[in-house]
Amino acid sequence: MNPVILPYLATALLVLVTVYSAIVSFRQKPDGGASGWIFPNGTRRSSRIVVGIASLALVIGLAAWLSVSARNTTRRSSRFLIPDGYTGWVRVEFEVAGAPPLPVEAGQNVLAIPPSGLLRTSSSEQNGWAKDSYHFSSSAGARPIPDSGPQALIWGKINGEASGSSGKRKYEEFFVGTNQQFKEQAAGRQ
Amino acid sequence: MLPFLLYFVTGVVTGYHVYVLLTLAMYGAPFNPLELVSIFGSFCLLIAAYVSLFRPYAAARVALIAALAVWCFYGPAIANIVRTRIAPATAVSSESTRS
Repeated sequence: MNPVILPYLATALLVLVTVYSAIVSFRQKPDGGASGWIFPNGTRRSSRIVVGIASLALVIGLAAWLSVSARNTTRRSSRFLIPDGYTGWVRVEFEVAGAPPLPVEAGQNVLAIPPSGLLRTSSSEQNGWAKDSYHFSSSAGARPIPDSGPQALIWGKINGEASGSSGKRKYEEFFVGTNQQFKEQAAGRQ
Repeated sequence: MLPFLLYFVTGVVTGYHVYVLLTLAMYGAPFNPLELVSIFGSFCLLIAAYVSLFRPYAAARVALIAALAVWCFYGPAIANIVRTRIAPATAVSSESTRS
């Protein structure tokens, strides 16, 4: 449903229901079972059966849709390998023609960020819930980067879509550094 | 069937609209407690829709109360929008000249 039309439609229907239900509530009940289609006294048995079957089908359909969409909202988690000591913005651009796909290790997408902070991949961006992990990588190995709490070094993670000469491109960005550095960078960007 | 369709469609549309607004709170949008009252009213409209198949007059009273519950959110929201559009825009410079 168009999100622009939705509030207007909801308001119009609400006005209609308020007026209709107020009229029915306060008008005198007609004697002798006189009934029209605007103010019916009841509904035929066949109509009730149709409504019952349609409602049951609706509930089953809704339950099936919810279970399928719940399964699709999870995605493969990502493991970001950032050069040791790197401070600044990291940007990952997805669906870049000619760029290598993201390798998968132990069920995780591995995103090895180059020293420039810009990684281009032909893989598409995945949507859904997953716990990503961040690591500083060096020749000595990888050490985890805290991404929450007072010692967090990951800030301002955003997913977006940019338009350019090569069409629309999805990207992901986040800042690596202290909260103070992030605030200074964010102020400098404005 | 008219009352059923009217109550049912209104319950679904208003309920979905307020549900969308509630999900925006996850992304940091301000949360309004009246949205919960409104979504409860939408649920009551759905109940009124099914009651209308058997007792249309009782259903109308339930629907009226439910509609008023939904108005708890829509009323102030519409009033706010109208007030914002009618009120003349304040010049930013007038703030600085006041001091």
